[in-house]
Amino acid sequence: MKFFQKIIKKPWPYWVGGILLGVLNIILLASTGKAWKITTGFLYWGLSFLELLGFNCSDWYYFSVYSNQLRKGETFIYNYYTIINLAVIVGALLAVLWASEFKFKKIKNRRQLLFGLFGGIIMGYGTRLSFGCNIGAYFSAIPSFSLHGWVFAIFMFVGAFIGTKILFKYLL
Amino acid sequence: MNEIKLDCMYEACPIPLLKAMKRLAKMDIGDVLILETDHSCSIKNVVEWAKKQGHNVDYMEIGEGEWEIYIEKRK
Repeated sequence: MKFFQKIIKKPWPYWVGGILLGVLNIILLASTGKAWKITTGFLYWGLSFLELLGFNCSDWYYFSVYSNQLRKGETFIYNYYTIINLAVIVGALLAVLWASEFKFKKIKNRRQLLFGLFGGIIMGYGTRLSFGCNIGAYFSAIPSFSLHGWVFAIFMFVGAFIGTKILFKYLL
Repeated sequence: MNEIKLDCMYEACPIPLLKAMKRLAKMDIGDVLILETDHSCSIKNVVEWAKKQGHNVDYMEIGEGEWEIYIEKRK
């Protein structure tokens, strides 16, 4: 019972989470040879949906600037990023079930829905311009000695600071 | 002493923390803020922030994945 309370139920200190994430990221990179990214997987899902509708996405200018990182035999749906993303979801689900904190969350009101959609769209657009989200462009980039990770980090803190000020002053 | 309920259900980070900051600033010393949340981050960052500010703080799980955080304003 003590183990359950301490390890499963109570939130871990931030430093424990940080160390674990760092170690797991090294293991992932060493065992798969690919950096951890999240939103690239969603990009591929979106592309496969657009292709279903008849668009030819490979002609887009974006894909002549940014390299397509799929391996031989991988498709927009069946690839490294899809498996990693599903694994994150399954892992998170197991963790909340184990702590018996699983809950379906409702949308609170129309305001939350609209701001959520708007925020999601500009975040998605931003991740495509910056080689990924705060996992791909920051968390995986800095340990890989890529300069863009540091540029991303500076502007992420600037953005979070301004965003919090706006949220606090106008939206709460 | 007043008891003030603050509904933060279905709200994600950092809204519960910001709402608590805003509400607490308007309260008198000795008042208790009861923050309802279903976001597990809140029982970490709201509780840590309130402790750092010198308030009395505690929380309880009132349902599966639902908590009430009690903050007594001390200064």
